[in-house]
Amino acid sequence: MSADGESEEGGCKTMFINYEHENHVYNVTIERRDHHYFVTYNNTEYKVKVEETKPGQLKIKLGDHIIKSIITEGDKEKYVFVDGNVYKVKPVELTGTKTTKKKQEGNLNSPISGKVVNVKVKKGDNVKKGDVLMVIEAMKMEYLIRAPFDGKIEKVNFKEKDQIEIGENTVDLTKK
Amino acid sequence: MEAIESNIETSDKDYKENYKHYELLVKDLKEKISVAQKGGGEEKIKLHKSRNKMLARERIDILLDPDTPFMEFNTLAGFGMYDNKAPCAGIVTGIGIIHGREVVIVANDATVTGGTYYPMTVKKHLRAQEIAMENNLPCIYLVDSGGAFLPKQDEVFPDREHFGRIFYNQAVMSSRGIPQISSVMGSCTAGGAYVPAMSDETVIVKGTGTIFLGGPPLVKAATGEEVTAEDLGGADVHCRESGVSDHYAHDDKEAIQMTRNIVENLNRPEKTHLDIKKPEDPAYDIKEIYGVISKNPRKPFEVREIIARIIDGSKFHEFKALYGQTIVCGFARIMGYPVGILANNGVLFSESAIKGTHFIEMCCQRKIPLVFLQNITGFMVGSKYEAGGIAKDGAKMVNAVATANVPRFTVIIGGSFGAGNYGMCGRAYQPRQLWMWPNARISVMGGEQAANVLLTVKKDQLWRQGKELTKEEEKKITEPILKKYETEGNPYYSTARIWDDGIIDPVDTRMVLGLGISASLNASIPDWRPGVFRM
Repeated sequence: MSADGESEEGGCKTMFINYEHENHVYNVTIERRDHHYFVTYNNTEYKVKVEETKPGQLKIKLGDHIIKSIITEGDKEKYVFVDGNVYKVKPVELTGTKTTKKKQEGNLNSPISGKVVNVKVKKGDNVKKGDVLMVIEAMKMEYLIRAPFDGKIEKVNFKEKDQIEIGENTVDLTKK
Repeated sequence: MEAIESNIETSDKDYKENYKHYELLVKDLKEKISVAQKGGGEEKIKLHKSRNKMLARERIDILLDPDTPFMEFNTLAGFGMYDNKAPCAGIVTGIGIIHGREVVIVANDATVTGGTYYPMTVKKHLRAQEIAMENNLPCIYLVDSGGAFLPKQDEVFPDREHFGRIFYNQAVMSSRGIPQISSVMGSCTAGGAYVPAMSDETVIVKGTGTIFLGGPPLVKAATGEEVTAEDLGGADVHCRESGVSDHYAHDDKEAIQMTRNIVENLNRPEKTHLDIKKPEDPAYDIKEIYGVISKNPRKPFEVREIIARIIDGSKFHEFKALYGQTIVCGFARIMGYPVGILANNGVLFSESAIKGTHFIEMCCQRKIPLVFLQNITGFMVGSKYEAGGIAKDGAKMVNAVATANVPRFTVIIGGSFGAGNYGMCGRAYQPRQLWMWPNARISVMGGEQAANVLLTVKKDQLWRQGKELTKEEEKKITEPILKKYETEGNPYYSTARIWDDGIIDPVDTRMVLGLGISASLNASIPDWRPGVFRM
């Protein structure tokens, strides 16, 4: 669920952090080893030494660079002052997306046990992707069998009023 | 958290047709509600106001904190009943906020047959009290009623869930520490006199408020004494002599202010703690639900499209997405409150029922409120499924639903048929609230199925006598049944009889659920004690 978190790996601490700055999300991994932080961003590791000189004031040693920075915390965001510039950053949670199921595509098998109430095609018919081939009724609902691709009907396996079981193949369809 | 990505094409022909059709359903709903909210009509309203009395809804308006919502229940109670003489069933009930805390309000509407109690008025009053009891909410009664509607005395007086139950509930609630407060702003005659008398604290308005067991006509008939209503049971009698009332108001406004002051001093306990986050709008327009729901009730729709439009940020942590796919379960937030959602996406099979049960168990353990989005044509039937034990798997789900310790909320977003209604927390399972969308249908089975069952039974009977039915005779049996199911399965038939708490525009679903959950937190959530599950 959350990509934010900490895990202990062999005595050193690894943190996965996602920061948003100007609508871009930066995925950063921070590890702590031998009094240093190892920051990985974009597959590059940076060795950093950090010292908090005063509360909220950091002295960061990155290679030969020394960066002094002040960090203040807002409601949800942090303001980072570096070399006279202010950066507003916000920690975010990694968001995955999940698609809702497509309309009954790609399956010529009956989704349910029921009665065939309408056969819309016959042998030899050419059909387009998405065309309704057969209508099955069960439990007060109508289930549509749609062509998963453009093709030609080779065989219709059921006729109207036939009983059909779940998983049975409704028609044989060859791809064009 | 992962988000649901919608697959809806708003330019799609079907979508547009569905949308148009649904707009009409909502328009029709709003018209019906607006008529009901006018109560007894222009003339009665004029007469009421000429007596220096405010209307029930105006009273509620100033009673509540400014700019806070009033969640009204059963606006269409009594719809199409009693020759349409009881709009709103003559009583306004709902949850509102006073001094920052939720209370239940019960306000008589004297413009409707003098605020007398029809059978549905009694039922609506009792339902409001039940909501108060389950959610531990103080009750405010704005009383203005002539008591029982005498022509229907056999339907309002003698039985367990009739008039007497109102006062029983007041006593029981008071004993549980749920404050009972009355403001007498009109008649409180006969039985009605017990509403203020049974209250913890009572206000009465001088000149209009009266409380007595027998009104002047009855007194004259019984003893010959001639007395005015004010002298018999007005504010002066009850505040200075009898002690039936505690606070003396000069008009409605002052009475309402006094009622607010009473609530201010109730010292209500802290609400139950839930892990609450800042509310977030869904990633998709809620109104698109209109286009998602098929115009043809026999055509299934993808329920994740509905879920995506009512939860915060459309963020859904789905549980067992690949198993028992005809029920969709998952964690989400509504108006910042954590919820566990169960939504139908087809007929219930054994796997779906077991998955639903598992999910309910988790919510009960974690104390997360449950939301049921009901669109169910039933549990799957047939020899294969019976042999597979669908009855016992369905029973597991019904068991979990019935014993769940967390607040449960049901919205009927499509069909509600047969045992599916039980498994998905229908009225009998006492969800804290149950709402319907205007496209909903509810009956024990579909009309066609019922007609066919009855026809088969009749045919078998005749067959034993060596007789057969002609097509004509068959029609004579099936047609009235189809018609009956069509009428009675209608959501307005349901809501008129208070089988639900009201019909809502799908757009309001988030708000209604959010308010419902907020109100439910006034009661504590006990630990879960499940029953025996048949394994």
